[in-house]
Amino acid sequence: MKLDVIPIHVANQPPGEPGLSGNAPPLLREVVEQVRRLIESGEPSAIDLSALPLTPADLDWLQEKLGAGEIAVTLQASGESTLNETACPGVWWVTHRNEQGAVNSQFIEVAFVPELVKAHPQDVALGLETLEFMIADRQGDAD
Amino acid sequence: MQGPLIDTLARQGVSRRTFLKYCATLASMMALPPAAGLAMAEAMAAARRPSVIWLPFQECTGCTESFTRSHSPTLEGMIFDMISLDYQETLMAAAGHQAEAARHTAMRDNAGKYLLVIDGSIPLDQDGAYSCIGGRSNLDILKEAAEGAAAIIAMGTCASYGGIPKANPNPTGAVSVSDIIKDKPIVNIPGCPPIPVVMTGVLAHYLTFGSLPELDAKGRPKAFYGETIHDRCYRRPFYDQGKFAKTFDDEGARRGWCLFELGCKGPVTYNACATVKWNGGTSWPVESGHGCLGCSEPDFWDAGGFYKALSLPADPLKFAAAAAVVGTGAGVAIGFANRSKKGGAKSAHETTTLDDLEA
Repeated sequence: MKLDVIPIHVANQPPGEPGLSGNAPPLLREVVEQVRRLIESGEPSAIDLSALPLTPADLDWLQEKLGAGEIAVTLQASGESTLNETACPGVWWVTHRNEQGAVNSQFIEVAFVPELVKAHPQDVALGLETLEFMIADRQGDAD
Repeated sequence: MQGPLIDTLARQGVSRRTFLKYCATLASMMALPPAAGLAMAEAMAAARRPSVIWLPFQECTGCTESFTRSHSPTLEGMIFDMISLDYQETLMAAAGHQAEAARHTAMRDNAGKYLLVIDGSIPLDQDGAYSCIGGRSNLDILKEAAEGAAAIIAMGTCASYGGIPKANPNPTGAVSVSDIIKDKPIVNIPGCPPIPVVMTGVLAHYLTFGSLPELDAKGRPKAFYGETIHDRCYRRPFYDQGKFAKTFDDEGARRGWCLFELGCKGPVTYNACATVKWNGGTSWPVESGHGCLGCSEPDFWDAGGFYKALSLPADPLKFAAAAAVVGTGAGVAIGFANRSKKGGAKSAHETTTLDDLEA
């Protein structure tokens, strides 16, 4: 059941909402630093948005400022995760959700490709095994 | 012990990315830097599953319920894949002599390396006869199991501080794990029940770094018990503005004002409810309109009535007036008065008397 079905009027909106706390703009500077580091040393970094005192309005503000880029990755792994590149290449907005669709954690990742998108060598090796098995199986059928 | 954890997970259909995602969230909850999520995933994926022996003593099984019925089965349930749970009376299929034999085998095979989880307090009166398993007292079993343990996790307020069995007049002579075991590292995860993710976090920390997380003076992991409920409460601004609900059905209660005067123990209670919340982040006691009971603090059962406000300074307005004279604004003055209220509450933490209960 959705909460809004319950006929109770919430008198108090959570404090801070819909206002801006002023905590979001300094994050842009941190992103700048991280992008610079990525260019200079190739070192990726991230900002944990759920660990910071940001209101929903702050998050909207940040998301709007960073904009939407060309790539949007959707990951289905015990709930949906989205890894979307912002209008600034190398800056990704990462949201992890659980099976019920609630946000578990949220990050700004600064990387050429977020780690989660890359395939792990061990998993690739497993894929190779599957492919080889498939070919062997087909040959077996042909014989 | 089996092979690396990631292989065990893969066999159960948990992909590497699911695990990475889980670790990212876990690191965030433990207030670790974002990069730690990846480091945790790498370390844990390669780790061998440690043997865990879980002993229930004088308890209500609420801690096990909290842990096993946590919101997302794949999330906290995953911890059961990370460990080799060799003895847990509520969950294990074996019973009687078979169960006891399983415990002894696990203790012998993993001597010095297993984690010991305890829920429940240990009764000492009548030679511990109040709580026995297989004819042996909890005290006896605890001492034996602690000897070969690498570390002990005291799950819940009973194991951590004696809890409700220890409430006055403590008829069974209940004590905590740390009252008995002095020579092993002990992590207290208090709460009645404790927040499941705290347990997961401690195990993840152990698997990743090979050590227990940093603890506070009461033996609790700082990552989860570092701040009071009050300091992280979303109703805190109302406290600072001096806006309090006076009854559970007045205008203030409907507007969601601070529950301090209705007995909320948030200002003296260290726990993560205000941030982690309960039931998959749905809500938590204060959000549902009830003050905090203080269940993660020692002797919370005896620390004054649940609906009795923490003690206030004799005349809070006097503080406000004094501050106003110095020329500060009214808002600051009220904030000041409330701060002193909190200080007073901390220093004069009251104990329940029989009169309180009868009143």
